[in-house]
Amino acid sequence: MVNFTVDEIRGMMDKKRNIRNMSVIAHVDHGKSTLTDSLVSKAGIIASAKAGETRFTDTRKDEQERCITIKSTAISMYFELDDKDLVFITNPDQRDKGEKGFLINLIDSPGHVDFSSEVTAALRVTDGALVVVDCVSGVCVQTETVLRQAIAERIKPVLFMNKMDRALLELQLESEELYQTFQRIVENVNVIIATYSDDSGPMGEVRVDPCKGSVGFGSGLHGWAFTLKQFAEMYAEKFKIDVVKLMKRLWGENFFNPTTKKWAKQKEDDNKRSFCMYVLDPIYKVFNSIMSYKKEEATSLLKKLNIELKPEDAEKDGKALLKVVMRTWLPAGEALLQMIAIHLPSPVVAQKYRMEMLYEGPHDDEAALAVKNCDPNGPLMMYVSKMVPTSDKGRFYAFGRVFSGKVATGMKARIMGPNYVPGKKEDLYEKAIQRTILMMGRYVEAIEDVPSGNICGLVGVDQFLVKTGTITTFKDAHNMRVMKFSVSPVVRVAVEPKNPADLPKLVEGLKRLAKSDPMVQCIIEESGEHIIAGAGELHLEICLKDLEEDHACIPIKKSDPVVSYRETVSEESDQMCLSKSPNKHNRLFMKAVPMPDGLPEDIDNGEVNPRDEFKARARYLGEKYDYDVTEARKIWSFGPDGTGPNLLIDCTKGVQYLNEIKDSVVAGFQWATKEGVLSEENMRAVRFNIYDVTLHSDAIHRGGGQIIPTTRRCLYACILTAQPRLMEPVYLCEIQCPEVAVGGIYGVLNRRRGHVFEEMQVAGTPMFVVKAYLPVNESFGFTADLRSNTGGQAFPQCVFDHWQVLPGDPTETGSKPFAIVQDTRKRKGLKEGLPDLAQYLDKL
Amino acid sequence: MLYLIGLGLGDAKDITVKGLEIVKNADRVYLEAYTSILTVGKEALEQFYGRSIVIADRDLLEQGAQEILFEADCKDVVLLVVGDPFGATTHTDLVLRAKELNIPFRIIHNASILNAVGCCGLQLYNFGETVSIPYWTDCWQPDSFYERIIGNRVRGLHTLCLLDIKVKEPTLESLTKKVKEYMPPRFMSVSEAADQLLKITINVKNSENNGKALPEECLCVGVARVGSDSQKIIACSLKQMKDTDLGPPLHSLIICGKLHPLEIEYLSQFALNEQDVQNSVEV
Repeated sequence: MVNFTVDEIRGMMDKKRNIRNMSVIAHVDHGKSTLTDSLVSKAGIIASAKAGETRFTDTRKDEQERCITIKSTAISMYFELDDKDLVFITNPDQRDKGEKGFLINLIDSPGHVDFSSEVTAALRVTDGALVVVDCVSGVCVQTETVLRQAIAERIKPVLFMNKMDRALLELQLESEELYQTFQRIVENVNVIIATYSDDSGPMGEVRVDPCKGSVGFGSGLHGWAFTLKQFAEMYAEKFKIDVVKLMKRLWGENFFNPTTKKWAKQKEDDNKRSFCMYVLDPIYKVFNSIMSYKKEEATSLLKKLNIELKPEDAEKDGKALLKVVMRTWLPAGEALLQMIAIHLPSPVVAQKYRMEMLYEGPHDDEAALAVKNCDPNGPLMMYVSKMVPTSDKGRFYAFGRVFSGKVATGMKARIMGPNYVPGKKEDLYEKAIQRTILMMGRYVEAIEDVPSGNICGLVGVDQFLVKTGTITTFKDAHNMRVMKFSVSPVVRVAVEPKNPADLPKLVEGLKRLAKSDPMVQCIIEESGEHIIAGAGELHLEICLKDLEEDHACIPIKKSDPVVSYRETVSEESDQMCLSKSPNKHNRLFMKAVPMPDGLPEDIDNGEVNPRDEFKARARYLGEKYDYDVTEARKIWSFGPDGTGPNLLIDCTKGVQYLNEIKDSVVAGFQWATKEGVLSEENMRAVRFNIYDVTLHSDAIHRGGGQIIPTTRRCLYACILTAQPRLMEPVYLCEIQCPEVAVGGIYGVLNRRRGHVFEEMQVAGTPMFVVKAYLPVNESFGFTADLRSNTGGQAFPQCVFDHWQVLPGDPTETGSKPFAIVQDTRKRKGLKEGLPDLAQYLDKL
Repeated sequence: MLYLIGLGLGDAKDITVKGLEIVKNADRVYLEAYTSILTVGKEALEQFYGRSIVIADRDLLEQGAQEILFEADCKDVVLLVVGDPFGATTHTDLVLRAKELNIPFRIIHNASILNAVGCCGLQLYNFGETVSIPYWTDCWQPDSFYERIIGNRVRGLHTLCLLDIKVKEPTLESLTKKVKEYMPPRFMSVSEAADQLLKITINVKNSENNGKALPEECLCVGVARVGSDSQKIIACSLKQMKDTDLGPPLHSLIICGKLHPLEIEYLSQFALNEQDVQNSVEV
C-alpha cells in the first residue's frame, strides 16, 4: 500500500503522460476482483487503517456476500518503475522525462452479463483494459462481449491468464498441454480483436503477444503472476542474450536442446519447447516439491531461485507454503503493474485516437482539439458515465473522466444531458460544480481540482443529469457521444407499494434507482403501472432489492417478470394504405414491407445509421440488401428514437411541398414505431414506403396537427395489412458443466423452447460447454431449474442475442401471440381486443 | 336540416336576418371557433340570439362529425362560421358527410375577409392566389407561400395573406401523446408576418438557386379587425410593416402588385408616408 496525501496525488495528476486509466474486464468468476486485490495491496493509495480487507472493490454488502461484483468501482494506485524497466517505454507520450512514478486509475467491473452496462460505463472513462481469462475455462461468452465493446470504444487490451494454480493442482496438466491451452486462449482473444479492429487502424497494433510482454500468467488467488519479461530477465545474464530478444525465444515454436545447447524451430525427439523448459518447468518443480512435501528438495530449489522466506513463513507447508513461495518469487503486483505501465496507453496517447469516437461535434473545434491533445489548459470537457450513490440518501456523485481542461470545486460549467442539441436550451444547465472529489473504493476525498486525463467524482451535478452527460466550459461544445450498451433492458416487472399510501416514496425511489444504474429503465405506463426494465433476472433482482432497501425504503409488491416484445410484419401490405388528415385536405399513401434479414441488426450495430453519408449508405443497401439505390438515397428517418431498426423511405415522384411536411411525417413515424399498433411495443424490421401524398396547397392546412396523427394512422394501417407478427427476445446461453450433466441440460432446454446449437469439450479439461438459444420469456427460473436438474453442476450465462419472430398470427384469436398481445394491452391499460383497421384506413 | 351560417366579420349583429331567424328556431347551434374569431365572445352572441350555443373546436369538427350530424335529418342543426362558410375556411367535408347520410343542407352566406379586404381600396379583380402565413417553429419553417406571392407579383396581382391563428392547438410535443396539452392562443400580427417574409427574403438571397426575392421596399397593406368599429388600415413598405403595430387581432396582410391610379389614390389615405405609395407604381 502507498500512503499518499491528497496533495501528493494531485501532483501526480498533472503528469498526464504517467497516468494509466484502465478497467479490469472478464467473464463472471474468472477472478477479476481477487486479482485486483493483489494489485491494490501492492500499490493502492488508501488510508492505511483499511489495508488488508479483501475484495476491496466490492463495496456493497450484497457484493461481498454473493462474491459477485455488481457495481464497478474505481481505485487509484501508485507504482514506480525501475530504471531497467523504463527502457521498455519507447513512446515519449507514455512517460514524462525523469518521472518514474505512475498513477494508475483502475476500475473493477462486474463480469456477470446482467451488469454489462457497468462495464460499458467503465470502458468509456478508461483507455486500457486488463482482460482476465480463467485458463481452465478459456474464453467465454462474456469475455467476448466485453472485449468486443472495449475494441469498439478503442480501448487497448492486455491479457491475463488467471487461475494457473487450478490448472496445476486440480487438472494436473502436463506442461506442453498447458502451453497449448495458453496458446489457444491467446489465439481466441486475438481472433476477437482482429474481428473488430486491425493493426493498421488508428490504435496501431492491438493484438496481445506474450513475446512482447502484453500477456500475463498467474494466479490472482495465490497472488503470483509473471510475464515473459520476468523470466527473460532471470535468464538474460546466463544466456548473454538481450531481454527483449530472449522474450521472443521463450514463446511459440522455439525449442531448445539441452545436450547440444542448440535452438531449433521444430520439435525433435531430444529438444523441448522453450516456454515449457524455462518457464513452466521451474514452476512445476516448485509446485511438485512443495505439494508432495519434499522439504529438502524444496529448500534447495528455493535457494536456486533466490527465494528468501521469512522465518515464520518457512515453517508452513503444503498450499500455504506454496502460496508464500510463489508470491515471494513472482509477486503479482509487480508483474501486472509493469505490464500495465508499459503496454497500456496514457491519456495523451489514447485521446489522440479516441477523440473522433468520443466527440459528436466537428473534429476541429476548440473542444475537439483540446480532447485530442489532452490539454489541461483547454476548455473543460468531461463525460459523466455513471452516478454513484452517496451516504446521503437520494444524492449521487457524478462519476466521470476529464478529457480536457480542469474541473474545479466551485467553477461554473455547462451541464449537458444526452438530449442537448447545440444552440438550444433543452437539457442544458449552467451551474457551479459544488465539489470535486477523488473516489477510491469505498472512500472519497475532496480535491481542489482535477486536470485532463483523470477520473473523478462531482457533487451536486446529479440534480441536473439523469444518468450521463457532458460537462464543459466551452459554450459551442457538442455532446460527448452517448454510450452504446451491449445488452438491452428486455425483462421487466411491475412494482407497487404494499401500502398504497407509500406511492410517493415509490415514485421518488424509482427516480433514484434510474439514476444509480446505467441501464435500468423506470417507466410509468399509461395505466399508471410502474415498470422496471433490466437486462436479466439477476439484474432485476438487485434493482428491486436496492429499490426496497435503499431508494424507496418501503415494502414493495412486484409482478412476475415479463419481457418486451417487438412488433413487425411478415409480408408487404396487401393494399395501398390511405389515411386522410382530420381536415380531409391531405392524404397519405403508404405501404409496409419487412426488412431483409440482417438489416435490422446492421442498424442496431450502427453499420447502417442515420449519420451516414446518404449516397454511401444507399450504395451499401443496394449491394448488400438489393435495395433500389435511388429509393435508398431517400431514407427520411430511422425510428424509434431516430436510430431504431425501422425505416421510412420516400418513394414518391414529383410531389409538391413534400419537404414542408417531412418533419411532421417523421414525427408521426417516430411515434408509431415507438408505440406499435398491436400492443404499443416498439416496432422492428419494418420498412415503410411513402408512395404518394396529396396536400392542401396552403401551408396552414398541412401543419403538424394535421400530418402527425395522420402519418401514425397510415403507418398503423400499413402494419395491419401486412400480416403483423410479434418478435420475442432470445438469449444466447452458454452453459459449462461436466459431461454427466449434459443430458439434464438438454431436458431443461427442451421444456423451455430452447435449442442447442453447439456442444463441445473444453480442450484439456473434463468440462463441456453447451451453447443454446433460449427465449428470454422462458428464462425465468432457468438457473435454478438447471441446477436442480444437474445436481448443481451446470452454470448458465445468458446474454441477449437477437430478436426472433414468434410463430403465429397475433390477430388470430387463440394463437400464442394473440394471448401475449392481449396480456400486454391489459397490462398497459389499453382497450382489450384487436385494433380495428377501419380506424386507421380511410377510403378514397 | 344542416345549416351553415356565415356570421360576417364584425360583431354579433353582422349575421343576416335570414340567418338569425334560423338560429332562433334551431334545435342545436354550434360555433366554429378555431379558424377565425369575432371581436365579441360567445356570451355576446348568446345574448343577442337569446339562446345557448356550443363551441365546436377542431377536434369536434374534424373528428366528431357524427356528433354534429346526429339526428340532423329530422332536427335543425346550425354551424355558425365566422366570415363565410365557404370563404377562407372550407367546411366542404362536413357538407359531404351530410350528403352521404342524406341529410339536407343549406348555406347562408355572409361577408368574408376574401371580399371585405376591398375596404383598403385595392380592386378584388386584381388579387391573385390567397396564401396563409403559418407560425414557424424551430423545425417547421415552410416557405412555399413565398413563391406564390412572387408568382402573383410577377403577374402584377395583389396577394392577400391570411395570418395564422392558433386557438386550442395542441403543442407539438403532446401531438404524439394521448393526453393533449394546448398552446396558449396566438394570433399573428402584420409585423410578425412581415418579419417572417423578410427572413425568407434573406434566405432566398443567400441561396444559390437565384430565386426571385421580394424587395424590402415593396408596398404592403396591413388590415386589422376588418368590419368592426375599430377597423384599421395601414399602407407602407414591407420593411416598415415589420415595426407597425395595428393593435389586437385579427390581422391580414396584402402584398401589392401593379397598382391602378385609382387604387393609389384610395390607398394614399392609409399611407404612413404618401410618397411611398405614389412611388410604388412600378413593380
